[in-house]
Amino acid sequence: MRLPVILYITGVLVRLFAATFLPAVLIAVVYREWADLAGFLAALVLTFASGAGLLRVAGAAAGRASEHMRRVEGLACVAVTWLLVAHLAAVPYAFAGLGLIDALFEAMSGLTTTGATIFVDFSAYGRSIYFWRAMTQWIGGMGVIALFVAVLPRLAIGGRELFFAEAPGPEEEKLTPQLRHTALALWQVYAGLTVLQVLALVMAGMSVFDAACHAMTTLAAGGFSPHPLSIAGYQSATVEWIIVAFMFVAGANFALQYRALRGNRTALFKDEEFRAYTAVVLVATAALALFLVRDGLAPWEALRHGVFQVVSILTTTGYASTDFQLWSDQAKMVLFLLMFIGGCAGSAGGGPKVVRHVLMARYTLRELTRTLHPRAVLPVKLGGRVVPEPILRSVQVFMLFYLLSFSVGVAIVVALGADLITGITATIACLGNIGPGFDAVGPMANFAGLHPVSKVVLTLLMWIGRLEVLTVLVFFRTEPWRSARWSAT
Amino acid sequence: MRVVIVGGGEIGFSLAQALSAQHDVVVVDQKSSVADRFERLDVQFLQGTGTSSDVLQRASVDKADVFVACTGLDEVNIVACALANQVASPRTFCFVSRQDFVEMPAEQKGLARFGIDRIIWPEAQLAADIERIIGAPGALDAEVFADGAIRLLEYQLDAGASVIARPIADLHFPAGSLLVAVRRGESFFIPRGDSQLASGDRIVVMGTPDALQDVRRRLLGGTDERRQRVTIIGGGDVGFRLAERLEDSMDVVVIERSEERGALIAGRLRRTLVLAGDGTDLELLEAEDIGRSDVLVSVIDNDERNLLASLLARQLGVRRVITRVGRQANLRLFERVGIDVAISARGAAVASALNQIEGGTARLLALVEQGAGSILELQVPADYAARALRDMAPPRESIVGAILRGSQAIVPRGHDRIEPGDRLLVFVTKAAADRVRDFFTGARA
Repeated sequence: MRLPVILYITGVLVRLFAATFLPAVLIAVVYREWADLAGFLAALVLTFASGAGLLRVAGAAAGRASEHMRRVEGLACVAVTWLLVAHLAAVPYAFAGLGLIDALFEAMSGLTTTGATIFVDFSAYGRSIYFWRAMTQWIGGMGVIALFVAVLPRLAIGGRELFFAEAPGPEEEKLTPQLRHTALALWQVYAGLTVLQVLALVMAGMSVFDAACHAMTTLAAGGFSPHPLSIAGYQSATVEWIIVAFMFVAGANFALQYRALRGNRTALFKDEEFRAYTAVVLVATAALALFLVRDGLAPWEALRHGVFQVVSILTTTGYASTDFQLWSDQAKMVLFLLMFIGGCAGSAGGGPKVVRHVLMARYTLRELTRTLHPRAVLPVKLGGRVVPEPILRSVQVFMLFYLLSFSVGVAIVVALGADLITGITATIACLGNIGPGFDAVGPMANFAGLHPVSKVVLTLLMWIGRLEVLTVLVFFRTEPWRSARWSAT
Repeated sequence: MRVVIVGGGEIGFSLAQALSAQHDVVVVDQKSSVADRFERLDVQFLQGTGTSSDVLQRASVDKADVFVACTGLDEVNIVACALANQVASPRTFCFVSRQDFVEMPAEQKGLARFGIDRIIWPEAQLAADIERIIGAPGALDAEVFADGAIRLLEYQLDAGASVIARPIADLHFPAGSLLVAVRRGESFFIPRGDSQLASGDRIVVMGTPDALQDVRRRLLGGTDERRQRVTIIGGGDVGFRLAERLEDSMDVVVIERSEERGALIAGRLRRTLVLAGDGTDLELLEAEDIGRSDVLVSVIDNDERNLLASLLARQLGVRRVITRVGRQANLRLFERVGIDVAISARGAAVASALNQIEGGTARLLALVEQGAGSILELQVPADYAARALRDMAPPRESIVGAILRGSQAIVPRGHDRIEPGDRLLVFVTKAAADRVRDFFTGARA
């Protein structure tokens, strides 16, 4: 692990990240929010300076060496960049009056598309802050690094390690031979869908500003809303159905959607993960709607809120069309189980991903068959193709560490004073990048009341969850550190 | 016609044997040791490789009408066909054993580039044959004609069969079915109304699918509609293809010795259970309860191990055992020691090659009992005077199994008439084939 290489790449990425403050600067000027403007400008300067500083420290030799990045260096770059960028994204919040821990929590919640908020009084912040909140999610949804790979030809070679370390899901697949074109294609689909949603929401009667904020956070499967009551605040079934449709799209594999748009119309429906994802939505909606009807909701209302909440939680978006904290435990149970599934691989959604559950189920079935037929040759297949054993192993390890991180998180949050339901759901909501949980962290509540240490732990869990656990946890081993050195060769 | 055959193996020999009576046949093979076998036939034998244009020149490929490449190596066969096609333009037949050649993209163009007119893939035909036999419960052989309108099935009669020891005329086989042949020990004959069936006879029945259902019920008792369990020993080309074709309708188990090959086919099959192990490993067979299989198919590439695996399966109680035979000489031997169906990849492939080489008014559709009998398809000439079957006196060694008229398939009784333009499916014994052809088509050789 050559530290200068890591610093160099991180420096390149961070320096570029400075540009993402520009739209917020513009919004602050348009709405004449001068205090917030100072925050954005400060963040912009600080970001650019940190990037440049890192490059200076790394030295020119590191730049040449970075063309041959090693796997562990790629992982380190991704982990460090995300952590650093989250700190820089927190600067405007700090200027707007949030404490440092709270500002970092909000920034990380944005970039990791979690959508858990620390805001108590929504009227205390300007529009540019809400725009920045949505913007962080939009960038985080497709991946900070995927964005830079798309715009930086220099990253095309070493970028491979970065790109796949950041991309969600167990499988590595390129759409086009050149990584840069793959990243570009994905961003095109993503941006195109965002524009489409803005138009749809505006036609449904939402203001352009709110529509833009919601479109950015829907396609990122993020869940931040400038409205204190989330989507419930608009009281519009049309808006809800539009958002359901786009959340569903955000939770599906963008690479497949790109193929479908490119003329391979059946690509989506032939995909086993997409079919499983659709099946989960249908079954969970049916179950939830039944519980809601039993609890006294009119059937149509039950279906409307049922499907909205199922898609919102499954895709890890985290919007609320109603205060589901008030629902019965049976209805909440359905949502709770969905929190452990997540969207599809290659989507903007978080969580363990549908495909990992499919693979785990097949793996378990295989071991059952093996007890009956000890000599059987039993490959695990996905979409008719054999899944290599190393991928199966990594899926198992992922699941194990995911649950381990979850348990540790629950232990700390509850030990620091939260009640059990709050502790459990706050932890999974952050680790799975979902957003709201139940009880004290319910959809109409916020995370401000938690112990400061809990907030730090949850912030770290968001980071771990977004980078799919292993990218971060590998640095809890001593081996990468022992091989760390201050030379570019 | 002048026929050049490259490859003097089992296939080459069978083809040369069948063609040598009426055509000039030249056989090319690298091994001088096979020359002796061909000396006994009326053919010319050349030692050399089919991929040498010099050797092909000596075989006068330039004057050949038909060129057959049937060595054991796919690449050699393809190159030989390509070379022959450069020298002259005979019709070329290329035998292959692997799927990748058969499924070349844009099939016809791919083949044409190599100068190949017809690809013949014996393993695929064998898999298809075995599939048909498995699909007909209780049967020893099964063929399908006229797109399924007419089938042929072969059964073995056991001592309790209700059809034994009575004149056939009294058995009243269902309308639409016809008893065409009986094998009793070494003899093979076409039964008449006064013939009687005996225990141990193998009988060949033709008819419509519905009528044959009735026949089966009478011969074997009630039908059994549950999913069949099929065990395939050997996951090579034939085993794999067979499993692929059967796995949707039956519970299939494949036992393959090589772990690597096992992983490959397990990846490509969807529902089949692939076991890594030896088909002759008694412990494995018992642990997996192979004895409860309805059918066991042994298609290893080695006659001795095939036989051993099949006999073990029989010992474990498998009801039907189908075994692949490599050497033609082993066919009868296998059946004598208790294998229900011994079948070779060559028989069907040779038959189809001969068909395409000979063409004309008569087509050989199938061989029955290793060639003791065959099914010919005859085209009745347009100037034929229509007559009822009972007014004709066809050779005693033949029987008309079906009349195909337009889209109609008739299993004839005595009063049915043969009309100009009909196609006939005629069952003949080996000796009478030529006479029968002349009788129905009016040709005079």
